[in-house]
Amino acid sequence: MMEQARIGLVDCNNFYVSCERVFRPDLIGKPVMLLSNNDGCVVARSQEVKDLGIKMGVPLFQVQQLVNQHQIQLFSSNYTLYADMSARVMSLLEEFTPRMEVYSIDEAFLDLTAVYPCYQDPIAYGQRIRKAIARQTGIPVCVGMGPTKTLAKLANFAAKKWKQTGGVLDLSDPIRREKLMKIVPVDEVWGIGRQTTKRLNQLGIQTVWDLAIQPPKTIQAQFNVVVARTVMELNGTASLDLEDVAADKQQIVCSRSFSRKLTELEELSRALSEYCTRAAEKLRRQQSVTCCVSVFIRTNPFAVQEPQYQRAATVKLDAATQDTRVIIRVALSSLKAIYKPGFGYQKCGVQLSAIRPAVSPSQFDLFDLSCEGMPPDNTALMQTLDTINRRFPKAVTIASSGFDKSWKPKAERISQRYTTDWRELVVVR
Amino acid sequence: MPMTESLPFSILNAAQPLPPIRDGLAWFHLAKSEKTLRLPLFISKVAAGFPSPADDYVEKTLDLEELLIQKPAATFFVRAQGDSMLGAGIHPNDILVVDRSREPMPDKIVICAVNGELTVKRLIVADGQWRLKAENPAYPDIPLTEDLETVFWGTVTNVIHPV
Repeated sequence: MMEQARIGLVDCNNFYVSCERVFRPDLIGKPVMLLSNNDGCVVARSQEVKDLGIKMGVPLFQVQQLVNQHQIQLFSSNYTLYADMSARVMSLLEEFTPRMEVYSIDEAFLDLTAVYPCYQDPIAYGQRIRKAIARQTGIPVCVGMGPTKTLAKLANFAAKKWKQTGGVLDLSDPIRREKLMKIVPVDEVWGIGRQTTKRLNQLGIQTVWDLAIQPPKTIQAQFNVVVARTVMELNGTASLDLEDVAADKQQIVCSRSFSRKLTELEELSRALSEYCTRAAEKLRRQQSVTCCVSVFIRTNPFAVQEPQYQRAATVKLDAATQDTRVIIRVALSSLKAIYKPGFGYQKCGVQLSAIRPAVSPSQFDLFDLSCEGMPPDNTALMQTLDTINRRFPKAVTIASSGFDKSWKPKAERISQRYTTDWRELVVVR
Repeated sequence: MPMTESLPFSILNAAQPLPPIRDGLAWFHLAKSEKTLRLPLFISKVAAGFPSPADDYVEKTLDLEELLIQKPAATFFVRAQGDSMLGAGIHPNDILVVDRSREPMPDKIVICAVNGELTVKRLIVADGQWRLKAENPAYPDIPLTEDLETVFWGTVTNVIHPV
């Protein structure tokens, strides 16, 4: 008989907040909250903030009173720092497994099936991982284990929720599994969203256990194959594979809120050009081309007393491209079409979709006039651009991005880039 | 190029370029993918003026990261402030290389969070008690008693001191 797989899920606790606390140990145990790009909304919360009932994504002004009352420490998001700390965590995790999938900035699946010390004593191995990460990076993590990814996720959830687990839980044992599943609500299962939960509840399926005992065939008929697979995974049958390499993105979105309201088309064009540049860079980095460019603009939906407007426009390209100039040209003409004067715009963005791998230079449609006047898709030029910009960040830009960057998001409470800038190191006395 | 000056500051990726113009020359930082500064080691003297036949004898490149850092993922740089560690050769504004993967050992210079503040001191055991000792007689020892909240942060492995 084949050995049962053992998948580990390592997930950092309150990752962004933990990153800040590594360099600000005085904030350990105090309420800490991180704000989105424009210091507008809550994007991460320490446990102390969660306990106060502050929800993810709420605008700061709505909870300002709680912030003052409990002296919640606020930070702007410092993605440079988080990316560096994430890379450290992931690189250390590689020492524990021959095979792993980085699932997000703060979590990774580890294939521990053939790892001898884990086979001997999974809990001790999990503790070793936990201690190594905490000690060497300062980031606390929890480890969940099980024969499938879904069970590893569930184990991790329980390890986080219940202190008695010591931050490590193994769900390989079916009896222990059943016990846990009977007390966990079904919406905690990986991949079960809000809509599915609603419908499951209507069918009387409340706990994870209720879902696990359903016949996968019935579930597939009533829901879809994804939910059916989840049921199989909950029963220990692996139906989701470990992906060694993260899949290329099928959609690339670049959008930001502005630091101040933009009213002029020209200003919006400059911002949008920059987002297009970034999106195109991402596209080329994964060696893909796009056939579809969407643009959106909107006013601030929370400024209820002000006139509201939002529009989006999508252009389907006849020839796939990875050329920044083409993408900017298309995006700017869309922007012109949807722009209306008289509004204070708070956000705009570009989305590239219909993405596929770049093969040999794509050919323009001979009879298509929409390409007329477009610069030819110049792969070599774009490669040169990327090479220069990788070496000397933002050295070469498309002129439509402009030089006045006063619309850039504010990040007034950003912490130092402790790990990537010599001038911003933490000070010790 | 003012090589001596730039040397200690190129061993890790610096996301922000330093002032761009020096001596009329553009002065850039290496991109992330080329984060180490490599200098070839020649086994013979190099004469100026014509290509050296010794070029064929290049042995290896010297890598400061290799010298200073054993575990990159667990290594952090911090900046020292104050004069409490002068006796250990740590001057105000020096950069310390801190390895978090090393166990706290007596007589090592360590970084600790004491009541939430990061401090650099020598960790010692005296009369059966752990203490943080300053390397400057002007500062008293800090006995690590129960009422002090002390968290070990890392072990200092090197000091980068400009001369």
